[in-house]
Amino acid sequence: MTAAAAGAMKGRASLALCLCLPLALGACASGRVALLAGEGGAPTGGVAVFDPKSEAERGQLTAPNTEAALGAGAVRPRPLSANYDALLSAMPAPPQVFTLYFVEGTTQIAPESAVTLEALRKAITPASDIQITGHTDTTGDAASNDKLSLDRAVEVRAALAAAGLPVGEAKVTGRGERDLKVQTADGVSEPANRRVEVIVR
Amino acid sequence: MRATMLAGLLMAACLSTVGVSTAAGATPAEIGRIKTVTGVASVVRGKAVLPATAGQLLQVSDVLKTGAGGRVGITFIDNSRFAVGPNSSIALSAFEFNDTTHAGRSLTTVNRGTLAVVSGQIAHENKDAMRVRTPTSLLAARGTRFVVDVGP
Repeated sequence: MTAAAAGAMKGRASLALCLCLPLALGACASGRVALLAGEGGAPTGGVAVFDPKSEAERGQLTAPNTEAALGAGAVRPRPLSANYDALLSAMPAPPQVFTLYFVEGTTQIAPESAVTLEALRKAITPASDIQITGHTDTTGDAASNDKLSLDRAVEVRAALAAAGLPVGEAKVTGRGERDLKVQTADGVSEPANRRVEVIVR
Repeated sequence: MRATMLAGLLMAACLSTVGVSTAAGATPAEIGRIKTVTGVASVVRGKAVLPATAGQLLQVSDVLKTGAGGRVGITFIDNSRFAVGPNSSIALSAFEFNDTTHAGRSLTTVNRGTLAVVSGQIAHENKDAMRVRTPTSLLAARGTRFVVDVGP
């Protein structure tokens, strides 16, 4: 090794020390990241690891039940070495989603969605965090569909409030025709897209 | 000297609030809420230390702290969820989510302890926008369920 190379290495080592010391004070343990199987059969997905400063990607985990040490250098996946059951016992249940449908071009809840209103009456408690999101099909222009989708969501909130449910703090939004349940061309009447989704967390 | 400055900047980035509140002067927006609490856990908000309770609303820059045996479950407005393990210190450093367009980003800082994450709409609709920072790394959720374990 040349003297210059040794000097450069020493420089790098002291740089690493400088970066580590003030950051850490006991927290310099590099730790690890573990990718678990998707919940309830959902796809696993992945988790990417970056250098915190340069944001250069060090690699990613994509296989279920693998882990990697966190620190400098490339991500090296290995089989899961710890059990996270106790931690996961604290994970809240997935949000419940209820969908109500509408008569075309109106804020009138379709008769067949009465059963969904009934299910919501049972699911909502004072501890629930509620999000009410309206949608439309692709007939009509985007701006009027934004308004119609919001009006539908407001209508559902009114129906839930009329049933005596605590929806005063519910978040109510309209997404217009951005989020079609069934993909269609523009200008297509599609009952499945004329809906309000109520998320109960 | 330069390295020390960089380290200082990094530390500042770690500790400071990166979040953007909604309108100036408005009450900070709710970004999520605590659903379950086991054992000793608190929410540090500025100088205040509040005992963690089920139903408590959370804001950007809140820090969750748990003692030995403490655990906290959280749901966020983008449908993402956290489980915070014992002996943890976890900052909700940034969280922005537009519930009409689903545009958004989040940054969670795991100073110590363990955090399990189920990603939500932010990660689903914005590439690498749901981020978790540890003392040595920056992570991005590209799917559903993962655990970050920084240790004591």
